Amino acid sequence: MATRGPDLAVTAAPAVLEPALEPSAGRTAGRWRRSLGVTIPAAMLVVIFAACFLWPLLGSLPEPTGGNILDSDLPIGSAGHLLGTDEVGDDTLSRILHGGQASLEIALAVNAIGMLVGGLLGAAAAYWGGWRDTVVMRVLDMLIAFPSLVLALALAQGLGPGKLNTIWALCVFSVPAFARVARAATLRLREQPFMTAARLSGTRQRRMLLGHIAPNILPQLLTFALLGMGITIILEGALSFLGLGVQPPDPSWGNMIAQGQGILSAEPRFVLIPSAALFLTVVSFNLLGDALRARWST
Amino acid sequence: MSTSVPQLRVPLAGRRSGRLTRAARAPLARFIGRRLLMVIPVLWGVSFFTFVAMNALPGSAAQSLLGPNATPQEVARFEAQLGLDQPFFERYWDWLTGVLHGDLGTSLASGASVSSILLDALPVTAELILVAIVVALLVAIPLALLAARRPNGIADRAGLFLSMVGLSIANYVLALVLVYIFAVKLRWLPAMGWTTPGEDLGQNLRCLVLPAVSIGLPLLCFYTRLLRADLLEQMQGEDYVVTARAKGAGPWRVLVHHALRNSTFGLITIVALNLGTLLGGAVIVEQIFQIPGVGRAMLSAIDNRDIPVVTGAVLVFAVIVVLANLVADILYSVLDPRIRYGDART
Repeated sequence: MATRGPDLAVTAAPAVLEPALEPSAGRTAGRWRRSLGVTIPAAMLVVIFAACFLWPLLGSLPEPTGGNILDSDLPIGSAGHLLGTDEVGDDTLSRILHGGQASLEIALAVNAIGMLVGGLLGAAAAYWGGWRDTVVMRVLDMLIAFPSLVLALALAQGLGPGKLNTIWALCVFSVPAFARVARAATLRLREQPFMTAARLSGTRQRRMLLGHIAPNILPQLLTFALLGMGITIILEGALSFLGLGVQPPDPSWGNMIAQGQGILSAEPRFVLIPSAALFLTVVSFNLLGDALRARWST
Repeated sequence: MSTSVPQLRVPLAGRRSGRLTRAARAPLARFIGRRLLMVIPVLWGVSFFTFVAMNALPGSAAQSLLGPNATPQEVARFEAQLGLDQPFFERYWDWLTGVLHGDLGTSLASGASVSSILLDALPVTAELILVAIVVALLVAIPLALLAARRPNGIADRAGLFLSMVGLSIANYVLALVLVYIFAVKLRWLPAMGWTTPGEDLGQNLRCLVLPAVSIGLPLLCFYTRLLRADLLEQMQGEDYVVTARAKGAGPWRVLVHHALRNSTFGLITIVALNLGTLLGGAVIVEQIFQIPGVGRAMLSAIDNRDIPVVTGAVLVFAVIVVLANLVADILYSVLDPRIRYGDART
């Protein structure tokens, strides 16, 4: 009897494993293709971040402002000016990279604040429930009722232009959005057995929120933040395009597009180059967010 | 009908079964009544927040209107003339009572009444937005059906990818690229300007094409993605789909006649919820194409620090969004009896 034990295990093991192996072998191609959906946009983002934040540190790039007027309107591919220069002689590539820095910094700050403040607010509201939940959500519903760009425009005007004020103006839309995502995720979590167990064992409220709820809603907040990055970059570009965000001569993709608008028919590259930078960045964030959401939701 | 109602309601809100019979008597009227009452605090909050945001901000409107050379005395006199020296709540009360009478104040820059400025601009924005929504829906519905016919098929994957790409194009970028292609290079359409439909309908439509596409293309991608997801959900989980299949309906018939009908409810909500984003997009597109709508009125008021006009425009936009959501909810409950009974508890 005792000798048959291991015997059985050895013979049974392949029988158990076999059916599992076959579909997994077939699934490898699908998995590989799915991972491509994550790695390609992720790699694009790494390249974009490195270009915007590391390339200017190498010192080989001209300054984004204060170019020589004698070098104005150089075409694409000129010596020392890979993407040419604009009408005051500033290097376009350098302006694109520094402008990208501004866009990415603003978008990162807006989403970090949204995730922290909105995430905690939404999670706490859902965790408490009752009237506190109602009050918080009604106020946030009201903020969401405002057309985000319209409100951001009005606030940016009131606060005055500049990077920091653009961040505050855009937070008005990111905080309520994150709060809603966090609230929905927490509501789904609240009735889970481990939450009940934690509550019954006398866990303090702060530990419940930060130790139990926060790690579990983090994946959803992160995928939302990736989509939020795309939205924020477009909104920041809109503010700068309308002259209410980053102010010239400091570069940003939005104000570069606005400057190029006047000479669109003669020199379309001044609109097309920053537009392409904006599009590539946003599409990378969106595709990565979408792929991760699909992966984590299954 | 009345016998089936308790069965539907009890698991949802058992302890409130006393209110059940009243709710069952006129569920639709009751639902609409509750929903209308809920709008009042939201509208009040929207008006209060608009006023606070626009009036608590630093910077003096009088100073910027008179220019940097104005003396402090001149500024103070002008502020008193505009009523800007009054305490905050007094100004808010005056403004709110004015708003309730349909009076949004007078423009600091032109002296015209804000409501007449906005009323002149509103039909233009409305035409632009409605054309964009209708065209986007007309294209999005067949595309979503095609994608949902074979989930994970080629059409579906291509649609998902392309719609994500479309959603990543900022509308100001799209507008300028369209202008470059169709106005500068091909010279088919005007690059900017506006003609009212009353003057010349053909020219009005020609002016409308590029701005409407700039707003409508991202919208089309958005609608397609959400409608596809909703259709797939209906096809997978719903009993009526199983019934329809069992009685021998073909796949297209199940999709179009059964699933699409039910997905329409979700689509209505999406259109209403997304209206705020859409109005924001209209602001920037109106500016690029020099279309005299509410958005452009608001932007030029922002340039002039014409606070009453900015406040009025923000309020009008917010009220439109709130009312659109109200209409969507009511429409939803008229079309789908499940909502009336189920959601009356919240």
